[in-house]
Amino acid sequence: MPRFLKILARNLLKGPSTEAFPFKEAFTPPRYRGKVVMNPNLCVGCGICTHVCPGGAIMMKESEDQNGYYFMVWHNTCAFCGSCRHYCPVKAISLSQDWHNAHYQSEKYRMVEHHFVPYLHCSSCGAHIRRLPPALAARIYSHSSVDPATIIRLCPDCRQLATAKREGEVHESSPAPQQP
Amino acid sequence: MGFLSKIAVRSPWLYRINAGSCNGCDVELATTAFIPRFDVERLGCKYCGSPRHADIVFITGPLTLRVKDQALRVWNEIPEPKITIAVGVCPVSGGVFRGGHSIEGPVDRYIPVDINVPGCPPRPQAIMEGVILARELWLRRLEKLEAGGGERRAALS
Ligand code: SF4
Ligand code: SF4
Ligand code: SF4
Repeated sequence: MPRFLKILARNLLKGPSTEAFPFKEAFTPPRYRGKVVMNPNLCVGCGICTHVCPGGAIMMKESEDQNGYYFMVWHNTCAFCGSCRHYCPVKAISLSQDWHNAHYQSEKYRMVEHHFVPYLHCSSCGAHIRRLPPALAARIYSHSSVDPATIIRLCPDCRQLATAKREGEVHESSPAPQQP
Repeated sequence: MGFLSKIAVRSPWLYRINAGSCNGCDVELATTAFIPRFDVERLGCKYCGSPRHADIVFITGPLTLRVKDQALRVWNEIPEPKITIAVGVCPVSGGVFRGGHSIEGPVDRYIPVDINVPGCPPRPQAIMEGVILARELWLRRLEKLEAGGGERRAALS
């Protein structure tokens, strides 16, 4: 049999190598790095993601009424590198499998992942504090006897005070700061 | 002529301008067009070698100072109605090069961009989605031109 007939038969058996996309859904590998998604219930507002982002795609800004902060990822400058996911200490930010990025110019500035993360209020003095998720608090205080559930509701100042009181380091001689 | 152009499925020709790209996006563009796995020719599209034959133009790269004049000159050679697709985050916003001393972009400071396909680089399927959007837009513009009568067509040709 001539060689080209063999090749022809083989190719006929193999079927087309062209993907059915765009007429059918395309295959996306499970670890594909698509659009960035952020979980506002986990973010602690540390800003590490903003610091490591090579595209400068992440912006964190305090809201006008100072009750929380806006968290924005602009997908039109994101390089989908995954650095933010790698460095986020609480795994609040991750990359989805969504790669459907093509859009009209009129939508250019709407390609954002936008969240508002409200501050919590210190249960002792009422000051604004950034959230500390219970899981992270449990990790931080795993070696101490402190109850993480109460400590995460205090601002850093009140936390200090509480610790000082607990450790019995407040001497009678020095004027002990009173809790407001 | 009118009847023929109605029944004929229009096939836009593609052209590619590299405005200082790192070549990542250009490789993806080549992949989209030239390997059978993605095969953009199924959509009736075909790469052409001359800007004067093109209907849809891809721009990659952040428009560096060095290449700006040449890129704009080539873009101006493309006849109207043309559709401009910015491929990659570089032309759309400057991407990782934004703020560099030799970056003149984003491209839409100089060129009216129609479609953006962000990604660094975007995967071939995303580029194909951009081509589909561009083709629809192009057909709409052609229809509008035809409805507008010979006067505008003469002005544009
Ligand atoms: S994936 Fe990379 S470029 Fe995109 S937001 Fe995260 S760190 Fe920035
Ligand atoms: S997303 Fe993660 S890294 Fe970014 S500010 Fe929130 S907790 Fe920090
Ligand atoms: S978007 Fe990324 S891959 Fe494309 S040219 Fe720019 S740096 Fe290169």
